[in-house]
Amino acid sequence: MASSNLPDRQTLYVLQDGERPLEIIEDTKIPNAATFRIYKQDHTLANMIRTQLLEDKNVIFAGYKVPHPLEPYFLLKVQTNGSLTPTDVVNTACASIIATVSQLEKRFEEQFRDKEFDLGAVDASAQQPFYSDAYADF
Amino acid sequence: MNPNVRIRELQRDKCNFVLSGVNLGFANSFRRTMMADIPTVAIDMVVFEVNTTVLPDEFIAHRLGMIPLISTNCDEGMRYTRDCDCELGCPLCMVVLTLHVRCDMPGTTMNITSDHLQIQSGGDAWGGEELTKRGEDFGLPVSKSRGFNGHPILIASLRKGQELKIRCEAKKGIAKDHAKWSPCTALGFEYDPYNKLRHTTYWFETDKQAEWPLSANAEEEEPPREDAPFDYNAEPNKFYFNVETDGSLTAKEVILKSLSNMQSRTATLVYNIKHQSRPDAMDTTDAPAFPPAGQRTSGQDQSYTNASGWGASPNTSGANMGWASPNATAQGGWSL
Repeated sequence: MASSNLPDRQTLYVLQDGERPLEIIEDTKIPNAATFRIYKQDHTLANMIRTQLLEDKNVIFAGYKVPHPLEPYFLLKVQTNGSLTPTDVVNTACASIIATVSQLEKRFEEQFRDKEFDLGAVDASAQQPFYSDAYADF
Repeated sequence: MNPNVRIRELQRDKCNFVLSGVNLGFANSFRRTMMADIPTVAIDMVVFEVNTTVLPDEFIAHRLGMIPLISTNCDEGMRYTRDCDCELGCPLCMVVLTLHVRCDMPGTTMNITSDHLQIQSGGDAWGGEELTKRGEDFGLPVSKSRGFNGHPILIASLRKGQELKIRCEAKKGIAKDHAKWSPCTALGFEYDPYNKLRHTTYWFETDKQAEWPLSANAEEEEPPREDAPFDYNAEPNKFYFNVETDGSLTAKEVILKSLSNMQSRTATLVYNIKHQSRPDAMDTTDAPAFPPAGQRTSGQDQSYTNASGWGASPNTSGANMGWASPNATAQGGWSL
C-alpha cells in the first residue's frame, strides 16, 4: 500500500473500543462555565447545539471550535448566568433540537403525503420517471 | 422553534423544499447530515480474475466504486463490516456482484456497463433480521432497477478477444469515509437571496445589480426598500433546499433518514452527558488514582478527601468505599 501510515477513516467518526464519548471540564477561572470536549463529532453537531444554546436566555456565552482538522473532536464552551449549570442548558438545548426534529419530521410527512396524492398515483415512485429532467439529454 | 416546510417539487431522485422557522445552525446541520451521514452500499473491494481490457485493474475498480447501488433502508438492512461477527464478509454486511464479459465480435467494440453486473444470491439462508428489512433489488445497480429510464453507466470498452471477469464486494459506508457512499449528487442550499443580512459581499466590475442576477428564490421574499436601514439583529429563517440523489436512495428517504440521524445523534449526546460520570467497563478495571481531568472539580477539596474514600492511598481506603468511584467526586462538584 502506498499510504500505509494513513489512519483508517472510520477512526475519525466512530468511537473506538473503550474510548470516552465526552469529557466535561469545569472552568476554574470563570464562574458557571464549562468546556465540553466531545469526541468523534464535528461541526454537524457542534454548530447546531451552539446556535440553539445562544437562543437560551440563561446562556451568557456559547461557542465551539474544532482545534485541529485532523483531531476528531470539538470543544464547546458554555457560560450561564448561574441559575442553571452549563450541563443543564446543554441538555435543554438538545431536548429542544430533538423536539424541532420531530415536528419537522411530521411536517415533511404531511407534505410528502400531499405531493404523492397530487401525483394521483398510489405508488407514485413506480409511475414517475426515475431520473428528473436533468438527465434527459444524456 | 416552530419548523415548517413546503415542498415545491418532488421526484424520486429530487426534492426541492423551503424550510422555515429554524435557525441557521440547524438548517446547516440538516444539509451536512444529508450529504455525509446517510449510509448506502457501494463496491469497496474488487477481485480481478481476468482483465485483458486496456484499462488497468485499479482504474476499473475505481470506476466500479462510483456506481450507485440501490440502498433502500440501508441503515437498518445492513451491518457495517466493523460491527459484523464474520471474518471475511457475509450476506449481512456485504453484497457480492459479479461480472463476466468477453467480446467475440470482430471489427467492433463492445461496451461493458453497470447492467452487466449480476448480484450473487444465496443470502437468504443466513436469515438475519437485517435481510428482511431490505428494500426490493437491494444492492443492484440503479440502472437495473424497475422504472429506471436513463442510460447504464459505462465501465470499459472491449475489442475482440478482450475479457473482464471480476467479483465485487459491496459494503455499507458513509460519505465521511469516501464520497462514493453519499446518496446525494448535489445539494442546493440558499438563504437570504437579497443579501439583506449582508452575510456576503458581492465583488463587481462596474454594476453590482447587472453582474449579480437574483436567484429564482428571490420571488419568495420581499425585495428590500432602497432606503431601508440595515437590520443588524435580523436572523435568517427561510432556507431553500434542493436535494438530488444518485438513485441509491430516494430524495424522500434521504430527508427522513437525515432527520432521524440528527435526532439520534443529539439523543446520544444527552445520554453520554448523563452517564459520563459513571465508570464504564473500561474505567472500573483501570481506575485512575485521581479522577481524570474532566471530572476534577475546582476549589472543592472535600471532593477528594470526603467520606467516599479518597484517602492518601487508594489501596487502603477499603473495598466498598472504593477508589473506583469517579462519580462520587462529580457529585461533590457541580451537578453532572
